[in-house]
Amino acid sequence: MALDLSVIWRNLPFLIEQGLLGIGAFGGGTLALAVPTIVLATIVGVFVALARLSRLAVFRVPATAYVQLIRGVPLVMVVFWFWIFIPIAAGVTIPTYSVALVAFVTFEAAYIGEIIRAGIQSVPRGQVEAARATALGYRDTMRFVVLPQAFRNMLPSLVTQFVILFKDTSLASIIGYMDLTKAAQTVNNREFRPFELYLFIAVVYFVFAYGLSLSARRLERRMAAGRRTLATAAFRSAGA
Amino acid sequence: MSRRVTRTVAAGLGAVVLLLAGALPAFAQATLEKINQSGTFVVGTRTGSPPFGFIDRNQNWVGFGVDLARLVHAAIEKRLGKTIKFELKETTPATRIPLITSGQVDLIAETMTITRSRMEQVDFGPVYFVTGAQFLVKKGSPITGVKSAAGKRVAVQQGSTNERILREQYPNIQLVVFPDQPAAFAALVQGRVDAYVNDGVQLAGLKAKAPNPGDWVITGEPISYEPYGLAMRENDSDFRDLVAFTLMEAIENGEYRKLYEKWMGEKGDVPYPLSETAETFLRMQVMPR
Amino acid sequence: MFRYDFDWSVLWQPPYGEWLLQGILTTLEISALAWVIALVLGCVAGAMRTVPSAVTRTIGAAYVEFFKNVPLLVWMFFWYFGAPQFLPLAVQDWLNRHGVAFVAAVVALGIYHGARFAEVIRAGIQSVPQGQFEAALSTGLGVAEAYRLILIPIALRLIIPPGTNETLNLLKNSSLALTISVAEITFQTRQIEAYTARGFEAITAGTLIYLVLCLVLAGVMSRVEKAVAIPGLIVRGSGPEG
Repeated sequence: MALDLSVIWRNLPFLIEQGLLGIGAFGGGTLALAVPTIVLATIVGVFVALARLSRLAVFRVPATAYVQLIRGVPLVMVVFWFWIFIPIAAGVTIPTYSVALVAFVTFEAAYIGEIIRAGIQSVPRGQVEAARATALGYRDTMRFVVLPQAFRNMLPSLVTQFVILFKDTSLASIIGYMDLTKAAQTVNNREFRPFELYLFIAVVYFVFAYGLSLSARRLERRMAAGRRTLATAAFRSAGA
Repeated sequence: MSRRVTRTVAAGLGAVVLLLAGALPAFAQATLEKINQSGTFVVGTRTGSPPFGFIDRNQNWVGFGVDLARLVHAAIEKRLGKTIKFELKETTPATRIPLITSGQVDLIAETMTITRSRMEQVDFGPVYFVTGAQFLVKKGSPITGVKSAAGKRVAVQQGSTNERILREQYPNIQLVVFPDQPAAFAALVQGRVDAYVNDGVQLAGLKAKAPNPGDWVITGEPISYEPYGLAMRENDSDFRDLVAFTLMEAIENGEYRKLYEKWMGEKGDVPYPLSETAETFLRMQVMPR
Repeated sequence: MFRYDFDWSVLWQPPYGEWLLQGILTTLEISALAWVIALVLGCVAGAMRTVPSAVTRTIGAAYVEFFKNVPLLVWMFFWYFGAPQFLPLAVQDWLNRHGVAFVAAVVALGIYHGARFAEVIRAGIQSVPQGQFEAALSTGLGVAEAYRLILIPIALRLIIPPGTNETLNLLKNSSLALTISVAEITFQTRQIEAYTARGFEAITAGTLIYLVLCLVLAGVMSRVEKAVAIPGLIVRGSGPEG
């Protein structure tokens, strides 16, 4: 079977504008879903992590239950919860975009929360004690001392999770959201060129996902270098 | 943890929940009231079922079902005396009932067969189309109906009437179940399955829209009776009357015929002539004023 | 307003109970087969990324990065709809008659997770002290043998906690096979819902099944970890969340 790349060319505007960016009659868009999901899931993730580390059972227990539940089920199941289960249970109408957004944020925040928690725990205890000794409250200690350091430690895993999240948004196509995957399906429905079309969107996904992980790796290297200089400086000043 | 922190965490979580919940208008009222309040009429239809609901070459979401829904839309606007937004949402056989009962869509205007078990969950308007399930195969295939399909791989859609009939009445056919029609037809085109069973008119639609229509054959005596209806939530007689009257008027004043010709007439997208019996049947559903 | 009368009995009524069981079996079958593929590919690619030869490293990296950075769903469609057309007709025909969807799902899942396993295994190999490798070479082993007999066996034991995580991800990701007609657990819950209109009960059952499978698998792996631990090396704790 001969390859026919003109199918990509003919449908490029639809695949990119509609599928990737979400500009067009169908709303949709992979990036239009992925970017807000990353932002929201990170915000929710911070609270999940704080609740998981809380000494109060009121926060810790539900947060732990939530994280364990989410990590034990496939994303597709969570999407079905919000698509069918929650509307029936709560008697509410949810637009497709919101279903996808809420489902992905709910799912990814559990993973991101765990990464943030590990990051917070990686900050030496002494740092917290020192901050408290200088009369900083919990909130200020978190904000000025713990979270900035934690953030640096967890950045690599965080970006890895963002890449996973970006790819996960392809599942929105299952509920009829016009993302890149759904756009390719729609075109294939008419053109019957699955090899060319799916390989093409694979390349598009790859460019974004790999680009994101490359930039993370570069950042990581730069920060590692920064930390080395910092450590050397600390060592010198301690020695002096 | 101090009380201040406790409050911060609680406020944060609460804010997020509210933010997410903000996108969720509660619905617990009659359909017309809901449409009046939201200003939007949401219709569930297919993206890959020509000529009822599909995305055409110019990436427009169109079809016979979509056009019927537009008639309902016009009637709603007239009734409420204001402009209402017309919105389409994708439904599939496995998802349409949950989507309508949960209020995600207000009307299903696609290839939905009226069955008694479905009538227990949703309400239907009058029958607007009549067809029956057949086999779509590659030219030259030995399959000519249910008998010759024994032992063969036959694609069906999850949650469709055809899936149920084949599973219950023809257990020697090897069923391959897909979430939607595009995947099922793509599987047939790629040779992963030997045949695809769906309502005759939909097969005609797929055949007409295929790159080489001559490669495909619709075969076999119809194995089922599939009367299509517009579906809505149960026990909402006001809205059901509106839908029923709209359809009756369209049949009466020739609007229905015009749309039929547009999509399934000789020069239409998917030629599928309206039989005399079917036309009589449609006319007999039109009640006197 | 919302009214819903629960009827949990649909979950064990014939034939629905049987459908669920078949779904569980299918999920376990795909996952197990894909896991074997993923482990083999992961070991090979993970090892390739640590050798001195730049060409070998690049090939390993290309495989890992390309397959890891594309959504599994796209791979499912690719392997099921797109790829088989390049096989000889006889092979295609044979595949089509012998559960091509199942095979495509296993291949898609195996190759995708192979790339992710490779990352874990590479980290494992890199955490084995360099001296081990040098000692192996000095006893007359070739590079390939040193990897096969020394480095990979040690690395595999070291990576059990992250490897368990990846294994659980693989199990959960097998749910995407429903899009290409494989009747696994999620598919069966959808199927039961389509037949009974009992979406609530069906989705709850599916959720619980996955939770139990994940817990059991995590428990088994933590036992395996203890059983194969190398004395003298620090073993990281791994609970159900490990």
